[in-house]
Amino acid sequence: MPVKNEFDVIIIGGGITGAGTARDCAMRGLRVLLIERQDIATGATGRNHGLLHSGARYAVKDSESAEECIRENKILRHIAANCVEDTGGLFITLPEDAETGYGLDYQATFLEACNSAGIEARAISPREAIDMEPSVNPTLIGAVVVPDGSVDPFRLCSANVTDAVLHGAKVLAYTEFLDFIREGDTILGVKVLDTRSGEKAEYRAPVTVNAAGIWGHGVAEKAGVHIGMYPAKGALLVFGHRVNNVVINRCRKSADGDILVPGDSVTVIGTTSTKVPFEECDNMEVTPDEVRLLLREGCALCPSLSSTRILRAYAGVRPLVADDSDPTGRSISRGIVCLDHESRDGVKGFVSITGGKLMTYRLMAELATDAVCRKLGVSRSCTTAETPLPGSMDGRIESVSKRFEGKPTAGQKSAAGRQGDMVNKIIFETEADKQLICECENVTLAEIKYAVRELGVRNLQDLRRRTRVGMGTCQGTLCIRKAAKALAEALGQPELAPKLAADYLDERWKGMRAVGWGDTLREMEFMQRVYKYQKPYSYDEV
Amino acid sequence: MQETNISAKNFEQCQKCSLCETVCPVMANNPKYGGPKRSGPDGERYRLKNGIFFDDSLKYCLNCKRCEVACPSGVKIADLIQQARIDFGRQSPKLRDVMLASTDQMGPLASSFAPLVNFSLGLGAVKGIMDFTLGVDRRRTLPKYASETFVHWFKKNAAGAQDAFKKQISYFHGCYANYNYPQLGKDFVAVMNAFGIGVQLINNERCCGVAKIANGMIPAATRDARINVDAFAKEVKEGREIVTVSTTCTMTLLEEYPELLKVDNSVVREHIHLVEKFLYKGIVSGELKPVWKEGWKARAAYHCPCHQERLGWGIFTTELLRMIPGMELTELESNCCGIAGTYGFKKENFKVSQLIGRPLFDNIAEVKPEFVVCECETCKWQIEMSTGVPVKNPVSILAEALDLKKTASANL
Amino acid sequence: MKFDVIIIGGGLAGMTAATALQEAGLKCAVIAEGLSLHNASRREFSTAGGTLLTGDRVTEGQFEDNRLLSVRTEKLEDVLLEADSFILATGKFFSKGIVADMDKVYEPLFGLDVEYEEDRSKWFDPSFTAPQKFLEFGVRTKDGCALKDGKPIVNLFPAGEILSGISSAQSDATEQIKKSAQDAVTAIRRK
Repeated sequence: MPVKNEFDVIIIGGGITGAGTARDCAMRGLRVLLIERQDIATGATGRNHGLLHSGARYAVKDSESAEECIRENKILRHIAANCVEDTGGLFITLPEDAETGYGLDYQATFLEACNSAGIEARAISPREAIDMEPSVNPTLIGAVVVPDGSVDPFRLCSANVTDAVLHGAKVLAYTEFLDFIREGDTILGVKVLDTRSGEKAEYRAPVTVNAAGIWGHGVAEKAGVHIGMYPAKGALLVFGHRVNNVVINRCRKSADGDILVPGDSVTVIGTTSTKVPFEECDNMEVTPDEVRLLLREGCALCPSLSSTRILRAYAGVRPLVADDSDPTGRSISRGIVCLDHESRDGVKGFVSITGGKLMTYRLMAELATDAVCRKLGVSRSCTTAETPLPGSMDGRIESVSKRFEGKPTAGQKSAAGRQGDMVNKIIFETEADKQLICECENVTLAEIKYAVRELGVRNLQDLRRRTRVGMGTCQGTLCIRKAAKALAEALGQPELAPKLAADYLDERWKGMRAVGWGDTLREMEFMQRVYKYQKPYSYDEV
Repeated sequence: MQETNISAKNFEQCQKCSLCETVCPVMANNPKYGGPKRSGPDGERYRLKNGIFFDDSLKYCLNCKRCEVACPSGVKIADLIQQARIDFGRQSPKLRDVMLASTDQMGPLASSFAPLVNFSLGLGAVKGIMDFTLGVDRRRTLPKYASETFVHWFKKNAAGAQDAFKKQISYFHGCYANYNYPQLGKDFVAVMNAFGIGVQLINNERCCGVAKIANGMIPAATRDARINVDAFAKEVKEGREIVTVSTTCTMTLLEEYPELLKVDNSVVREHIHLVEKFLYKGIVSGELKPVWKEGWKARAAYHCPCHQERLGWGIFTTELLRMIPGMELTELESNCCGIAGTYGFKKENFKVSQLIGRPLFDNIAEVKPEFVVCECETCKWQIEMSTGVPVKNPVSILAEALDLKKTASANL
Repeated sequence: MKFDVIIIGGGLAGMTAATALQEAGLKCAVIAEGLSLHNASRREFSTAGGTLLTGDRVTEGQFEDNRLLSVRTEKLEDVLLEADSFILATGKFFSKGIVADMDKVYEPLFGLDVEYEEDRSKWFDPSFTAPQKFLEFGVRTKDGCALKDGKPIVNLFPAGEILSGISSAQSDATEQIKKSAQDAVTAIRRK
């Protein structure tokens, strides 16, 4: 077994927290290793709303979280312009809310709390709300405008990883943490497994950071320390197109299915909150009851959802730090938990960063990096709040699109939206490069090649997270073969195509099964015909 | 909850089966056009996100609506494309487009100077100027203008006799019958009168607006649509149904008004009848009694125009024509002729337009009919120019094949 | 308009039946919403004098006792299409021969009896490539006739994928579909 000790810090977990921490550490001059057992953004990072919180949601009950949110909201608009869409948000009050104590009196309390947390909020009339977002429930009796937005978590995570690598970090995806290398009360490094080759390895560093989200519970146990994590499952539904262009929230105590977020070419409703056993965290299925609940609540925000096609359902697990006395998981603070296990548990060289939320990942990373630096005696300060991420130097589709020669095609405009100013690295050499592989989401062959070359893509799921390939209305029915072939060739392993396609089909199938009726069921039958009837997994005809 | 999936023009019902692409006549011939699926439902999802995703290659869509006929999911693909052009196409139409589209404005002008206009439309030099300065293709045979409009003729020669009939209808003649081919209007009056039906003109009839929609002149088209709907309502109030001859005008009045122009036509919608459907139903119910000329014979081929295909009413024309004892009718394979109203007149579209029509022209050459039957006026120009085979409107065929006198006495 | 047989659906099953019936000298009409892959057989049918209504769809049927008398279509509106016999070949979910919503599976044109699994959790196998139960759903028949509320409609013959147990996502589907169409033809000719 080879022994390596070439790093200052090892970060476990390639979600947004780990990616952000890797970036921050690398920018402060540390030698960084990030390990992730799957692809980046596969856990809770890729399984949420993609809401750029204004903090308004927390203003009444948790002013600290609210203040964090609005600060980070403003920072992300600056440093992650390409990942953020400034949609604005509404908090609406419905007639039935008045009956449960969340009428216009509550709206007044809410407004005051927002403003004292530094969140610019103003009440508008129902008429103005309908003009601003025509899909909103027209029976509303009041609305507050807040600076919510949407954020693409895949893109955000990928940009952090890319920047960490640009600052010298080493990133190992598909590398699973097995155990710590330990000497007495000191953590010296990690033992890992390359899940694709099956090879084991060891890496050493004076500090290891546990940023493994809900799986951080297990990581900590391996170090002999206990973090009381609370796995709270949240289910979400993806609708086939953008139903709304403004985020719609319910102006009441946080509850199930009360946020509707427009993101890219779809709208997402969420979420639920149920405690699940740790064993289930790796394979979440959305139940029929969850779908019904989300739909019912979604229709209260936006009645047309009752007849809008649902593309798929998915669920993530929030890495909350448990308060054993509350069974619902809702009243737990979403606050950041940064633990130095030396002072807390007497284990040296080990830091855990958990709790928090997508919105505050940068702050979490900053706190974790501060802790790492303290241990290493490094005094450089954090610059992540000022330095834009790769792709976000110029985050507007309109201006980025102008970088292409001639009139930009649909594929180029979409790439500009996804990759921001990184589009310079997408090479449109031949006519084939301009060909759309995924026609629902306008993904060109050139963008796929770019993702393989620059963004560490190994399979179709990885590719989806970076390009939206197969995320549209057909869920890959039309493009999986083409995409698998293009990807396998870009990887230099054309023989992989059938396996790449088969894995991806199972993954798409999972999300569709929970909502298999209406047009989605039609699509499922069509998908079965296209991929099963006649020669299954024959790629000759592509 | 979730019993149906509803979205604007059904765009979300698209399953990406791509059947529409196999029937799109433009996609097969113009690589600049992304095709119906991508321009329609695919494009719509991204346009909802940001108007920048509007692509001006949508102008290559000739709105034949064959994609809609082919779609197994009921997506109104062509409407989506036209709607996007209305919502996002910011460029103001060219002078050429305005001239081609203003069939009602250019018509009166041209008719007054018809001999001169027709002479000059045929002249190489003039065509060259139109080609160069206006972008109207010089290879195109341009529609002739009649020296006397149908309306003028009607008022002078036919109007007086109409009130004598017990049954009355109102005739939406459209621009073509009025300015370009008054004989069609005259045939219509002759056939209706023979069946014992008086014909009235619609007070304040305007152009249906199809050419204006196609050329992006939406405010003008909307204004005309409102005037037409009001005018129709008055006729209906008087107890007269509206009968139309042009399939394209009919589709525009019935479908495009509410779908694209957002002009509510619900008050008059069920009172608008395409003449073939009107006559078929009348004859089958026994209300109208045709007496056919003895010994009349013809070997004809029916070309179903795109918009008739969209209306789904070609069957009325074929069933009606097959009632004529001497009629030997072949149905041509369903293909677009390529003209699509003003589309084929534009210099940038000429080549594509002729390529699109090729399968139809070949089919006609194969069948060798005495004449082609077609309800559409612009198909007539295209087919006659491209094949030399004459094209007749079903109404004109009826005017020929009916023994008008005996029919008149049978329908007293 | 009156025909001997009206075939609803212009896919493989519908066109197989239509061609056979037309060859047998019956006056047939095919109502086909949307294009299908069976364009060549549609052309052949139409050239041979068959009535082909493309881009149109049936919206309702007129019944008397246990017979279907006529159907109404979206485009022809009040001009009803009458026939002695009808073949229903509208396919499965994709072509909307049967429809699923959150709670049930139904046949949308005439409300025919549909065989399906009520427990939604059994509809799908997690593995995409495994057999999928939902593809077996379809209308019930008795002696080839469709059933409505358990009673047969004596002149309405479902054929092809709309039948329970037949799906083109199975490998031997083509033969099964053709056979079901031939069975419908035989039943009609026997009458």
